[in-house]
Amino acid sequence: MIKTAALTVLAAASLTNAFPKIDAHEHYSFAGSNALAAQIRQGAPADVFASANTSIPQQLYAAGLVEKPVVFTRNALILVVPRSNPANIHSVYDLQRQGVKLVVAAPGVPVGDYTRVVLHNLGLDDVLSNVVSNETDVRGVLAKVALGEADAGFVYTTDARTVRGRVATVGIRRSAEPIVRYAVAVVKSSAHKPAARAYVRRLLGKPAQKVLRAAGFLPRK
Amino acid sequence: MAALGVDFTLPLRDFELTLALDVERTVALVGPSGAGKTSILRVISGLADRARGRVALGDEVWLDTRLRIARRPEERRVGLVFQEYALFPHLSVRGNVAYAGRGRVQELLERFRIAHLADARPADLSGGERQRVALARALARDPAVLLLDEPLAALDAHTKSQVRGELHELLRELALPTLLVTHDYEDAAALANEVGVLVDGTLRQLASPAELVARPRDAFVASFTGANLLHGSALRSGDMTEVRLSTGERLFSTDDAEGEVGVVVYPWDVSVAREHADDSALNVVRGEIGSVVEVANRVRVRIGPVTAEVTSSSAGRLELGRGGVAYATFKATGTRLVPLT
Amino acid sequence: MRRLPAAALVFLASFCALGFLALPVVAIFSRVSPARLVGQLGNPVVTDALLVSIRTTLVAQALVLALGTPAAYVLATRRFHGRSLLVTLVELPLVLPPAVAGIGLLAAFGRVGLLETRIPFTQTAVVLAVSFVASPLYVRAAIAAFEGIDANVVAASRTLGAGPVRTFFRVVLPLARGGLGAGAALAFARGLGEFGATIMFAGSLRGVTQTLPLAVYAEFDVNFDVALAVSALLVVISAALLVTLKWLPSASTSRFRFATSS
Repeated sequence: MIKTAALTVLAAASLTNAFPKIDAHEHYSFAGSNALAAQIRQGAPADVFASANTSIPQQLYAAGLVEKPVVFTRNALILVVPRSNPANIHSVYDLQRQGVKLVVAAPGVPVGDYTRVVLHNLGLDDVLSNVVSNETDVRGVLAKVALGEADAGFVYTTDARTVRGRVATVGIRRSAEPIVRYAVAVVKSSAHKPAARAYVRRLLGKPAQKVLRAAGFLPRK
Repeated sequence: MAALGVDFTLPLRDFELTLALDVERTVALVGPSGAGKTSILRVISGLADRARGRVALGDEVWLDTRLRIARRPEERRVGLVFQEYALFPHLSVRGNVAYAGRGRVQELLERFRIAHLADARPADLSGGERQRVALARALARDPAVLLLDEPLAALDAHTKSQVRGELHELLRELALPTLLVTHDYEDAAALANEVGVLVDGTLRQLASPAELVARPRDAFVASFTGANLLHGSALRSGDMTEVRLSTGERLFSTDDAEGEVGVVVYPWDVSVAREHADDSALNVVRGEIGSVVEVANRVRVRIGPVTAEVTSSSAGRLELGRGGVAYATFKATGTRLVPLT
Repeated sequence: MRRLPAAALVFLASFCALGFLALPVVAIFSRVSPARLVGQLGNPVVTDALLVSIRTTLVAQALVLALGTPAAYVLATRRFHGRSLLVTLVELPLVLPPAVAGIGLLAAFGRVGLLETRIPFTQTAVVLAVSFVASPLYVRAAIAAFEGIDANVVAASRTLGAGPVRTFFRVVLPLARGGLGAGAALAFARGLGEFGATIMFAGSLRGVTQTLPLAVYAEFDVNFDVALAVSALLVVISAALLVTLKWLPSASTSRFRFATSS
């Protein structure tokens, strides 16, 4: 077996646990998808870019920075609260209460945009006035809730599972959920394009998809 | 004017300091460095906190460990002049003198001849000028006791002799109980009425300068006051004492002593000759001429183990400069015997 | 003859070092024209962040000076058991990664922390985070400044009738002024640039807790020009502080040096 050089994969923070399980050999950098895209725009050396939405890779594609993006998995949003549920949140509508400490991701971060879409769909735009922090990625939101500092936060269902004992989940009406599709693309400036393309193909293959399903991600189609 | 009474012990790094004395006029404490002299001043001014005993100015008690009285430095009416003066570098001369805030500033500036330096900073002054500022500053406080730490040590030789005289005059004028510490016996003798010799934390002798010279209590006091100190063993011989020196000579003394003794002879009691005069009334030590040093209008010459002090004209007449053998002679009455410490 | 290459090497190394330090700063100002930079300063994101930064850093600075000065004085002038341990504790935030500092603050003041307070996500949290990371810089400099004062000069003040408090204000502070000022400037600059502990402990909310450095990070992937403008603003403030820093020590040390020795 030919040992290939390790690829540099910039991936959305929500993929922190799953990607190394799929392929431990590569170098990963996990952050908010928009922050990673900005790095690529500034010329950061990367081989593969995996985003928690399709719009960001599309923008990079239009700018000629990545090859054509491909959807490789889906996800869903969920509301998490600390296990002790200090603010007694049992439904999304409880977030309207005065003084609730809600943490979300900043606009521009995929999960932050999805959050605002959900709230809009539910007619709960004014809940945003209870936001006490706009985090830079989904794991920041998760950490604040898991630590018990925030009363509630919007994260992906896959994130909630990584800290199972520390948070409780509050479901969101399926009809209000946005369509969350993750897309991956090969970075045009990559020095290992064949290997990068092979990585993308592996992502779409059965073994990788099994790992993603096991982590709670939804099937591609 | 009330007298300052001190009676305390203070543990120091290598030994314990014990001091009990009354200061009515000017007392100088002399001793080698490390004898604890500066610590004494710190105890009296309240800057040292591990002393046990009593310090009082007349009826005003500043420290009494038994009664649990310990007045803070700012509550004691002392004027302390530090060895390196410790002037406030960020204040002008006027600022320094006026620090205690009691008026009389202009008067003091003029009295100490520093009025023309009123706006200068300590960094711009000479050693002598700084000392005057330090004195003026301490006196501006209107102290009841004056404490001087090595007042002449930081001055160069030329300034020193001049300042010594001025300081003596000043102390006489002020008539405050004054305690000064110094390692130089000459300074102490020039400035004080009483001199105490402090060694390893204890006061060996407290007396007027003349008394210290005339009747040194032990070898250390003697050598400290500038005497020659020789070693020998003594034996009564009629109405005198015969001493056999460790170097072999036989001397006689009118003092009484037995066994191992220190033989004390002051340089100015020693005469120098080129020939041996056969005079049984004189003690004689023969030796090679070692160093010949001019000190003011006198000459200090070392002959064997003895230092003699003669006039410059005598030194010239004897041609001491060319070296060779000479004889140091001194009377039995000028040969004191002291216990060896 | 062998000295030549060594000298050349030193020169080259210095040139590289200086270039490396200067380049990012120069680059910030060269990427966007000054006109656009100034234009961006009118952006509410920038003004909000500026207000938050100024308010929180000033309050933090006041806290650091008020509490740090007496603490430094005690540590500088008294010898007691456990003193060196205390000094190490004081210096600890200096070597602590800011994120760790943030976690520590949460563990202490968080809702489920040691003292259950309602401080996280408030501007107070920013003040605390900034104070935490900036105080060691001030306290260390203050300790050095106080230690550099001749103890005899302080003692002289006492023998001249001034109690400990008057002595502190009339002698100690004026003599320590240079070092204290330098330490304060450093602490201020550090506090102004604090990021990791702030985002952990206080979060990031525009107008409330989003300081200038947080704004740079937030705007970095949204509007790069704004990020540049804020960065340029921070550079200008930091440079101004550094210049002030240069003034203070030279103004005081040269005057007071050698003053106490005769």
